[in-house]
Amino acid sequence: MRPLDWVVLVGSLTSIIAYGLYRGRGSNTVDRYLLAGKSMPWYAMALSIMATQASAITFISTTGQSYADGMRFVQFYFGLPLAMVVLSATAVPIFHRAKVYTAYEYLENRFDAKTRALASLIFLAQRGLSVGLTFYAPAIVLSVIFGWPDRLTTLIIGMTVVVYTVTGGIRTITWNDVQQMAIILLGLVVALIMVFVLLPRQVSFLDALHLAGSAGKLNAVTTHFDWNDRYNLWSGLIGGMFLALSYFGCDQSQVQRYLTGKSIAQSKLSLLFTAAAKIPMQFFILFIGAMVFVFYIFEPAPLVFQKAEYQRIRAPQLSARYDPIAARYRDAQTRRKDAAFALVAARHSRDARAEEESVARYRKAQQDVDAARRDAAHLVEATGGQKGFRDTNYIFLSFVTRYLPAGIVGLVIAVILAATMSSSSGEINSLATVSVVDLYKRHFRKQASDHHYLNASRVATAFWGAYAVAFAGFGNHLGSLIEAVNIVGSLFYGSLLGVFTLAFFFPSVSGTGAFLGMLAGEAAIFTTFLFTGISFLWYNVIGCVVVIATGLVISYLRPQTAASHPVRS
Amino acid sequence: MPSDTREMRDEPPPFLGTWRRAYAALVIYLALLITLCYLFTRAFS
Repeated sequence: MRPLDWVVLVGSLTSIIAYGLYRGRGSNTVDRYLLAGKSMPWYAMALSIMATQASAITFISTTGQSYADGMRFVQFYFGLPLAMVVLSATAVPIFHRAKVYTAYEYLENRFDAKTRALASLIFLAQRGLSVGLTFYAPAIVLSVIFGWPDRLTTLIIGMTVVVYTVTGGIRTITWNDVQQMAIILLGLVVALIMVFVLLPRQVSFLDALHLAGSAGKLNAVTTHFDWNDRYNLWSGLIGGMFLALSYFGCDQSQVQRYLTGKSIAQSKLSLLFTAAAKIPMQFFILFIGAMVFVFYIFEPAPLVFQKAEYQRIRAPQLSARYDPIAARYRDAQTRRKDAAFALVAARHSRDARAEEESVARYRKAQQDVDAARRDAAHLVEATGGQKGFRDTNYIFLSFVTRYLPAGIVGLVIAVILAATMSSSSGEINSLATVSVVDLYKRHFRKQASDHHYLNASRVATAFWGAYAVAFAGFGNHLGSLIEAVNIVGSLFYGSLLGVFTLAFFFPSVSGTGAFLGMLAGEAAIFTTFLFTGISFLWYNVIGCVVVIATGLVISYLRPQTAASHPVRS
Repeated sequence: MPSDTREMRDEPPPFLGTWRRAYAALVIYLALLITLCYLFTRAFS
């Protein structure tokens, strides 16, 4: 990093945090600290929802995913607008009218205390695992750039987040998110412009699209159906809808965002705006990854983007195994570059036959490049590297730090760090809210002053911050971070979605039916995860269906009596 | 923690008149996006 990068980085982060703290002043009651006094406008909630979801992982891992696997990951978001329509029509008015602090508080109104407690614990387990990964992503950034140890980096970022989250509560978090989204959009546009500026002069925008497309990187929609295929139109629409229903309807880190709305209409608008903006935004991020791929057709890309592992397999004692792979890779890269230039020339001269011939050569060379990279990854694994080694998390950052000019590097790093802080602060805040409202206040200290619960919320926030930093140490064992986060979420979300579906749409279901349904749902999801190859996007569907079916059967066999029915607020 | 006594209002959306129409517009927008993504894939594959 050069001095200008430091100025941009420190200036951006300082202004974001200072502005958030300024807007969050006066959070001196539990209601203001956890729900911003229900005063937020729709655009702030919408940007906060998007910013909480768009963590550093989004920029680091999604771009790398597109480089390696193409843009088909965008289909993951196709079900999101459908989910937002369902939630706007159901969950938003129900939660608002129930006047709850957490989604799980509503479950006690509808079912009973044990169902609320189980849902709260499932959320704490799931979100507690994910928040560590949120911290781990920027630690990769700084370890690549500065060589700092991951754990020290995580500790520094974690402490910063904890300080401002403990101080300002959700109002600070929300306004930080608004600022963060502005910087994210600026950073994305600048990064894409820079990729095009760095392409060879004779390669136009359309040429770049054809080069990416011919290598299978612009596969935004794949229509074939396959249970084991993670991303296709059907898994995106159906599985993605269920995941989005679970995430935005049952995950407190999102529910708490729209519970801060000043009216039901404002909360609904925030979800609809998020639904409209999310797919174009993800498309744009993936498109940057595809264009970075095109850039590396004309520039020598490292065989392995993870520096430490790359240096390790190049050691003299591994040369007998490394050298043949490296030679094949260099040869394939040269052939791919020549074929790409030939393809561009054929397109410009409108020579269809030459174009066809150069596309065939280009694709063959690309297959050889991919094969050499796979062999290098196997070599990393076979010589002591981590199992399932993938370098997708390092691709975009390697490009940024090596090729972007002074100032822009600082801006991109600011985007990644700001995204981390905002996402993790929202997650920590929601973990603290559930811990205090659903567990501490409900089961341990039922009657205390508002000041006591405010302090308890601050202590819980600090605790979850420390927990997240400690858990981040396991991040390097989880392959592609964006997939790891979604897989962890999918292990738990189906049950939560199932129990809320029972609560909203099946008035005859009892608390015991809902409780046992959740347990059965979790059992079904873990069985699917451990013993089948079914894609994780389907876990939510399976879990939800099992919870509903079990809840209905149990309630039919053991119908609730009037005495056992809880008092509803 | 005091109980919440605020009345939560559910006003119509600022566009299209009713929420039902707003939801329909979003679904149509989604169909349009998927179609555009499909055409994009076909055009450059």
